[in-house]
Amino acid sequence: MNVLQRKSAPYVFVLPFFVVFAAFGAYPLAYALRLSFTKWTGAGEARWIGLDNYTYLLTSPEFWASLGNSSIMWLLVVPLQLVAGLGGAVLLANAKLRLRGVFRVAFIAPFVTPLVAMAQVWIVVFDRDYGLVNHVLNLVGLPDVGWLTSTTWSKPTLALLFLWKTTGFAIIILLAGLQSVPSHVYEAADLDGASRWRQFWSMTVPLMRRSLSFLLVIQTLAVFQMFAEPFVVTQGGPYGSTTTAGLYLYDHITASDLGTGAANSFLLVVLVFALSLISVRLLRARDE
Amino acid sequence: MNDKRPGIPTYVLLTVLALLFLYPIWWALSSSIKPAAEIISDPLGFHLGDATLDGYRAMFADVPIGTGFANTALVLVIKGGMTLFFCPLAGYAFAKYRFAGQNVLFGIVLLTLMLPTLVLIIPLLLEMSALGWVNTYKALILPGSIDAFSIFWMRQVIASIPDELLDAGRVDGASEFGVFRRIVVPVIRPGLAGLAVLTMMNVYNDFVWPVVAVNDERHQTLQVVLSTLAQNISGNRIGADFATVWSELLAASSIAMIPLLVVFVLLQRHFINGILAGSVKG
Repeated sequence: MNVLQRKSAPYVFVLPFFVVFAAFGAYPLAYALRLSFTKWTGAGEARWIGLDNYTYLLTSPEFWASLGNSSIMWLLVVPLQLVAGLGGAVLLANAKLRLRGVFRVAFIAPFVTPLVAMAQVWIVVFDRDYGLVNHVLNLVGLPDVGWLTSTTWSKPTLALLFLWKTTGFAIIILLAGLQSVPSHVYEAADLDGASRWRQFWSMTVPLMRRSLSFLLVIQTLAVFQMFAEPFVVTQGGPYGSTTTAGLYLYDHITASDLGTGAANSFLLVVLVFALSLISVRLLRARDE
Repeated sequence: MNDKRPGIPTYVLLTVLALLFLYPIWWALSSSIKPAAEIISDPLGFHLGDATLDGYRAMFADVPIGTGFANTALVLVIKGGMTLFFCPLAGYAFAKYRFAGQNVLFGIVLLTLMLPTLVLIIPLLLEMSALGWVNTYKALILPGSIDAFSIFWMRQVIASIPDELLDAGRVDGASEFGVFRRIVVPVIRPGLAGLAVLTMMNVYNDFVWPVVAVNDERHQTLQVVLSTLAQNISGNRIGADFATVWSELLAASSIAMIPLLVVFVLLQRHFINGILAGSVKG
């Protein structure tokens, strides 16, 4: 009796996950894949149109513009965050640093705040006419900047929200990576007379490849799925300058163009997977 | 590391950075209790003597934030409860049993781990409308209620429990589930605490799925309510000036931040463990 139970128990224990996954993961994905080859507005019959949704997207300027916007967002966010995260982690890793706990709390606090709430705060702080930032600029004699109303500044302003919110996350991930580098490695290098700077580049960075590539992949995924920031702060504007890949996907829902939306989802997945693979490869190549 | 004692510049740099990170939070919280007009006329100043809750009073009248909190609480309890019960259970099966098909099944868990959430939004929405589940709690709660990441993490945590401990329980006549409940759960309590706070943060802040799955006011979660603040406020106060709208907007945003910030400060160790556990999956 007990033996039998011991055989069946693991299946019973993992079953709930697979039920939920089948119902709300695998099934909708399969359904959406089929739908991506049809024209469907949310009501009535779906009409089979083969690859039309895909060719429509791949030749649509809006689709490419959304990818372009996300790519620029990536450039504004990811390199800076890797550098800042590494810098912050190195400062915090010093074993003789006091108040480390306090600094760590300060850096991660933004990560804990609800994104939508902070997006609302961003609207107020970066308002062109009455916002805090322009108020400060005026105090030092600089003119107003249309942070959210000019196509030049809309992306950096949203990128700043993303950076502010998630750099603390980057810091603790990299801090954990740094602390996993065994100290005898540094002692040996000290004996060899390697400078701190040289130790950092030729030992710390390669030894942290794992945490760095984890961060790179996860933030690349996050930037290409960026949605709440433009949705709340700029609604994709001005002039579509902040219509990210994630927001463009949502536009298909509001336009009741679900077949195209499904196709867009799959294109995005392929792209995001490709980007993750490339970035991990690049990090690896650098090291070898 | 054989570190040198950090000098003054390090502390100055870290302090400046810390203040930059904290300032937007402080600004939102402090401005939310300022007289509305001063948010615009004196955005940098703060005088505790002038503090007022007018913004909050007006906001409670204009914004269905109570409904938002109640819905988020409901989703949090049920969805969080499901995660905290079923994920360790599945993690236990993967960590401590050998069974036919185990590798394939765990492979599926790993595969779903890599699935970007965004790709599921439209498919799920279609499924919800086919089921008639749009604007229901079921739609908010069930998708993602037993997630791959939590299973993966709990499997790691449970794998470190010595087998002898579990066998001892079996000798004492505990059932398979009894071993999980009476031996595994007490041992992994710190990991469960980390999972609890991380799940809480994720569910509380979740926005993309709720905003798609729910569009009636009765089922809106807190984040969905927050996303349309400006429309709500100006809709209820036609012709209101910027200062009034902003005062309410900052009140709503602040009140939404406070619960998580409090939990974070109290349970920061578990929070950080939770976040770090995520980096293992790379």
